[in-house]
Amino acid sequence: MTTVRSPSMRPNPFATRHTRPGRVMPRDGTGRPLDVASLASRIRAPDAAAIEGPHGAGKSNLLAAIAGRLADAGALADTVRARARHDGSVVATAIVRARPGTILCVDGWESLGAVRAAVLRWMARRRGVGLIVTTHRPAGMPTLARCTTTAALLGRIVADLPDHGGLVTNADVEHAYAAHGGNLREALYDLYDRFERRARRC
Amino acid sequence: MNLPPDSPRGTPVIDVQFDRPGRRYDAAAPLAVRCHVDGVDPDAVRAIELSVAWYTEGKGEEDLAVHAFERIVERDALRAALSDHAYETRLPPSPLTYEGVIVKIRWCVRVRIFFIGGRDYVSEHEFEMGRVPPARPPVIPEAAP
Repeated sequence: MTTVRSPSMRPNPFATRHTRPGRVMPRDGTGRPLDVASLASRIRAPDAAAIEGPHGAGKSNLLAAIAGRLADAGALADTVRARARHDGSVVATAIVRARPGTILCVDGWESLGAVRAAVLRWMARRRGVGLIVTTHRPAGMPTLARCTTTAALLGRIVADLPDHGGLVTNADVEHAYAAHGGNLREALYDLYDRFERRARRC
Repeated sequence: MNLPPDSPRGTPVIDVQFDRPGRRYDAAAPLAVRCHVDGVDPDAVRAIELSVAWYTEGKGEEDLAVHAFERIVERDALRAALSDHAYETRLPPSPLTYEGVIVKIRWCVRVRIFFIGGRDYVSEHEFEMGRVPPARPPVIPEAAP
């Protein structure tokens, strides 16, 4: 997609529009691109696998990229986001609607709680539906990928975003990374604020 | 078919001309655009969609609404639309373009080309509606560095 800006508008390259899951190229902790096609091909329904990592490590982004690959191959059942235990019903509905042999992607698996998660996994297996989930902690399924972060990775992501016109420095990137304990989502929000302050001074 | 030298092969080049200088419009004013597409084989195009929409841009969840929409699928109309297509609509009274700190409201003309085979290409062309001055954030000393 290309965007032609109005002359008086200054876009913030750190806005969600540019950094939301699915917009950023998935990379490993060192900044090297991940082989999304290979990861997507490792799961066959009704198997299940987890993308593990702490908050803001890129799990949702990697899941979105894998879901895109599965969709291209006609193997994606759906992508659902779980935020609380009661979202178990949303996941259950998606499993029931899924065509056997397809794969359901669930973001935020740990928020469902252990009991609901176990029931949903059983349901998916019974219906021949595969699962790829994101989780902060081990979910009792094989690990598909473990997301880790470094300041170098954040720097690589920033380099991929639209031009910030020199308003954000490498020192800003390293400081934002450290200030948020390696949480890339929060670090990008921090850089958003820095960019806004400086852009309005110019 | 003309392809600008700096354009990757196969990438459409979409030019949208607005009828107001600086692409600035009043709320509820008429908007007229002319659209021209270069760099595509007309026989490879399945449909063109043109929409006038607003969206939010900022740190949180995004919002979007389409104000006006047109889809062209008929073959002769498609061929003509790629060469030169005029579109008119009357803008709504709100929301106005807003350059906030946490959230911004943008208006755009969005052109989407659907190719035979499933690939698509989107190009957004922003304009301003209304004259709301940019937000002025409170002066907070920056943390190092």
